[in-house]
Amino acid sequence: MPTTRIRLILTTAIATLLGAGAFGTLGAFVVVRAGWYDIGATTQHFQPVYSLLEQAMHYSVRRRATTVLVPALGSHDQVLHGAAVYRDNCAQCHGGPGTAPGNHGLSMQPVPGPLVDASRHWKPRELYWITRHGIKMSGMPAWEYHLSEDEMWATVAFVMQLPVLSAADYRALTAPGAEAKR
Amino acid sequence: MKSLVALGALILLAGCGGEHRAPGGIQGDPARGKVALAQYGCRACHMIPGVTGSKVWVGRPLENMTRRRIIAGTLPNDQPNLVRWIRDPQAIDPRTAMPVLGVSERDAIDMSAYLLSH
Repeated sequence: MPTTRIRLILTTAIATLLGAGAFGTLGAFVVVRAGWYDIGATTQHFQPVYSLLEQAMHYSVRRRATTVLVPALGSHDQVLHGAAVYRDNCAQCHGGPGTAPGNHGLSMQPVPGPLVDASRHWKPRELYWITRHGIKMSGMPAWEYHLSEDEMWATVAFVMQLPVLSAADYRALTAPGAEAKR
Repeated sequence: MKSLVALGALILLAGCGGEHRAPGGIQGDPARGKVALAQYGCRACHMIPGVTGSKVWVGRPLENMTRRRIIAGTLPNDQPNLVRWIRDPQAIDPRTAMPVLGVSERDAIDMSAYLLSH
């Protein structure tokens, strides 16, 4: 009778899977509970882990931003307004052309990174989505509850302009009072 | 053309074996410099061998630094110049987009030691 043989094979396969699962869970529990994982920001992710997390973030943002409706972007007034919002809320961690982030932005892990190349990786609606919802476990806050709709879109409009700004342009646009002088 | 190829081969050969070894007379602690390169956010703009991060081309990639003749467009590539550039790039090139990051002398020496040995 083949049924006995098949039953034996199935039982063995299931027992092996359950055993491996239990062993893996126990191992993971020990690693976590013993504190073997180094949570310090001075140790880095392995590059494949970092790249996987980053890719997952990209796919997630891309998918979630598809329903965002983009208003008219890029008027001079809006960009100036965005420059002021960027200076007050973003530059501390992201810096700008020729301008360093604050110390906390420099040593965050993952590093917030420059935004001068952001428009090469993201569409405006995706930048808006990230600004509005933030990024879990990265330190990027959700600005929805701290900035108005206009401020968030103005910031996106300004970030879209960053690639063409020299260090001097950036300083001029984000100078205190630059917005009032428009 | 032939001489160009020969020159390229020579340069490649010259790099063989020596690419991960710092030239003599390099000061500082490369291991400490590697951590410092992450802690000053260098990896945000520059790809650096051995330092985890995104694919990024905001600043130039910093691999094979020992093979460079010139840094920052004008300076001969040696450790003191590299330290100067890391600490105050805008004093050397006022129009550079690289900001002044408040790097201490010791940290800059260690960073340059890492870069010049990888």
